[in-house]
Amino acid sequence: MGGERLKIILSLTPPLLIIITLFFGGIFYGFLQSLGYQPAIGKYDINFSAYYNVMFSERYSKLFWTGLGLNLWVSFASTFLAAVFALFGALAIRKTFFAKTVCNFIYSLNLPMPHLVVAVGMIFVFSQSGLLARFASQLGLINSPGDFPVLVRDKYGFGIILAYIWKEAAFFFIILMSVLQSLGENFEELAQSLGANRWQRFRYVILPLVMPNLFSASIIVFAFSFGAYEVPALLGVIYPQMLPVMAFEFFLNPDLNARSEGMALSIIIALIVMILVVFYFWLTQAKIRKD
Amino acid sequence: MSDLKIINLVKNFVGMDRPAVNNVNLKINSGELVAFLGPSGCGKTTILKMITGLFAPDNGDIVLDNKSLLPIPTENRGVVMVFQNYLLFPYMNVNENVGFALKMKGIDKNVIEKKVREMLDLVKLPDIGFRKPKQLSGGQQQRVALARALIASPRLLLLDEPLSNLDAHLRDEMRDLIVTIQKKLNVTTIFVTHDQEEAVLLADKIALIFDGELQNYTSPKNYYEQPKNIKAAKFFGGVNFIKSKKINNEFISDIGKINYVGENINDLNDEINITIRPENIKLSKTNDFDHNSFKGNIKSIIFSGTHTRYKIIINNLELECSLQSLGIKNINQGDEIFVHLPKDKIWGMND
Amino acid sequence: MNNNLKKINVYAIYLGALILILPLIAFFINAFSFRWFYPQIIPKELSLQAWVRLKLIPKPGQRSIEGFLDLWTSNPAVIKALMNSLTIGILVTIVSIIIALPAARVLGLLNFRFKKLIIFIMVSPTILPPIAFVLGLNINFISLGFSGSFFGVCLVHLVPIMPYVVLTMTGIFANYNPDFEHQARTLGANKTRTFFLITLPAIAPGMVVAALFAFLVSWSQYLLTFLIGAGKVMTLPLLVFSTASSGNPALTAAISIIFIFPAILILFFTSKFVSGESGATSGFGKI
Repeated sequence: MGGERLKIILSLTPPLLIIITLFFGGIFYGFLQSLGYQPAIGKYDINFSAYYNVMFSERYSKLFWTGLGLNLWVSFASTFLAAVFALFGALAIRKTFFAKTVCNFIYSLNLPMPHLVVAVGMIFVFSQSGLLARFASQLGLINSPGDFPVLVRDKYGFGIILAYIWKEAAFFFIILMSVLQSLGENFEELAQSLGANRWQRFRYVILPLVMPNLFSASIIVFAFSFGAYEVPALLGVIYPQMLPVMAFEFFLNPDLNARSEGMALSIIIALIVMILVVFYFWLTQAKIRKD
Repeated sequence: MSDLKIINLVKNFVGMDRPAVNNVNLKINSGELVAFLGPSGCGKTTILKMITGLFAPDNGDIVLDNKSLLPIPTENRGVVMVFQNYLLFPYMNVNENVGFALKMKGIDKNVIEKKVREMLDLVKLPDIGFRKPKQLSGGQQQRVALARALIASPRLLLLDEPLSNLDAHLRDEMRDLIVTIQKKLNVTTIFVTHDQEEAVLLADKIALIFDGELQNYTSPKNYYEQPKNIKAAKFFGGVNFIKSKKINNEFISDIGKINYVGENINDLNDEINITIRPENIKLSKTNDFDHNSFKGNIKSIIFSGTHTRYKIIINNLELECSLQSLGIKNINQGDEIFVHLPKDKIWGMND
Repeated sequence: MNNNLKKINVYAIYLGALILILPLIAFFINAFSFRWFYPQIIPKELSLQAWVRLKLIPKPGQRSIEGFLDLWTSNPAVIKALMNSLTIGILVTIVSIIIALPAARVLGLLNFRFKKLIIFIMVSPTILPPIAFVLGLNINFISLGFSGSFFGVCLVHLVPIMPYVVLTMTGIFANYNPDFEHQARTLGANKTRTFFLITLPAIAPGMVVAALFAFLVSWSQYLLTFLIGAGKVMTLPLLVFSTASSGNPALTAAISIIFIFPAILILFFTSKFVSGESGATSGFGKI
């Protein structure tokens, strides 16, 4: 009995130690710094002024709130659109057809692709001298590169959203494919025999069946896109700026006082993600209790 | 020689309110085939795993040939277990599986090859050496598992529910094979089962285990004729129990005085239960018995092919009697009948 | 009518596939062309100039085996970054697998108090953004002297990889029957041989997948390497980022192709293991 307990503790300690010291330790230390505790520059006082500065000071408040707005917009839009595209892709691709395996591979291709490369790819395809602009020009739709809409490094975050859709649709796609595969087509055939048409089968049979998985995948994608740095750093503009980029730039600022603000920002990002995840768990638990 | 002694064996598990194995004592003689019989979760597999060394007992000892097994690591005990689902290593073919134990001993390849062939012949599966476990039927897998277990001539063979995963028709065949091989190699064997019929057909002796405690340890025949207690009797299909009081060496029950001559008469307490197998009860319309004859009424009759079962009420006590269907004279429901409990067929139990 | 719908369906799938690989097409055109001016769709001439400038292919006339060897052993930036990425990825993967193995076994096979809490702690780095911990950690690493070191970068890479490897391998052990080990022990195999002959072959397929994707997570890491490496540890993603920011499409495309090569290779060899149920998939969110 005692031997087993010891085995459990010994086995779990090394990975837990890594996560707790590096990850939670990092967060904790970041939190301390966000409160102004910076022994390196002789500051030992603890207060919330960095948080106040970031959110309400004249210097930063506009930057912060537009950034937060951009964050929410980008995360919601890209999560929703990626899920929708993946759902239609997965539903269409289920049936056998010519070159199905190849298509399957291509639809999953962006899954292992680094975000960074997808962002670069967006520049190559969507910039004003990119592949699409060239097509448009060949087709006579535009006269000069300037006529092509600004889709990359734009102030509405379109480029960022496009990159996330590209990348995360593959993630949704894989998850949906395996759910649909395990469900088979029996439910749909049953619904059809009960008189449900195409739309009704989608709305009342498929959607409720895939919804739990789709929703939990959405949480992962939303949380990721809310806090990731590379894509907005490459495809964003200086104003409005997504929060992770802003936090990072505060942090790299030669003025060491700005560090606290950078830390405060990163803690705010983490808090928002955490609230979202807790809310999600509360929702699913509430639903389980109701059922 | 492989005498096994299990002494005061105790095992507790976290989160269980009673010991999984509680003070079990038993001795198995060399060459015997013993069944551990009991419902699932009674602790019988736990005992096997302590014999192999996969669990360490909390108390007690396991002694093989007068030497304790406990300090010896599993791989050196010479005790081989065949698991319920055979557990053939999936990425090895049949030859590699069967030869595994010899390979562990570092024995020469050619010797292993020869020995593997012998073992596969023994379990009547020649010519499948290069197949993978996946390509075998359940019965074949079982035989390969048996061959694998026996190849290194273990001192003790343990079989965990050896027949439970097989179809009914394969079961008879496999049962015969196990007995034949066991007697041929004269390997001391314990097998675990929850099926009393299987235990009776296979074993020289049966250890009946309930809730981690050894209830009874004796030959299959005795479970029918001389069970140790009501639990043991019931597990073997006993249905007739007559509460009796011992007064001046006579047994008095609700249905009257019972003439008892059982060999355990001196060990019996003042309050006992007397049991008799349904097939040993005799019935007659007229009172033609000289002892232990009681008048009752037929409550119900169930015809079940070769036998017919009668339920008889005597003075609020219900007894069940089973007669061969052939040659039954007209006995009908509600009839008055004389019930005879032959004194050499009844058996008294303290609890 | 139904037939027409089916046809439209299939064409839509082909169109989708085409759109999805547009960036990849653009990468290849950019990397192998010279002066791909707007509004050309097909470049006027193919060229290896980007690769020559990256010192990956020798100048024309020197393209012999020796030419290649001379060039590569002169340690150009791309080769250096590639070697760094490879070394860090392989090292971190091996370490994480070794650390995760016992933990995953315990989590997959046993039930005990606080198991849910422990799993929750383990997976939290997959949910919370890396920026939340790396800024604070960076300052600690500076004071510990890990900042700007190879070791520090390896250490910080363990954070996103560890949860993912533990989770994937826990899934493997949840479907694993430890009685196979017991069986081998009773047949005379000692603990070491049991591990190598029984346990390892049984978990190997899943472990290889976990390892490949763990490698990929490390391979793709930008922010953590940039901050903890403090500019002294150059890896491929850092090179891609800086080249992309400086705006030379041909060079960016060429480095990117090297960068994504293992990703495509790994997907190709593991596609049958990648499904929504396997823990492997959830790890992709972090790449």
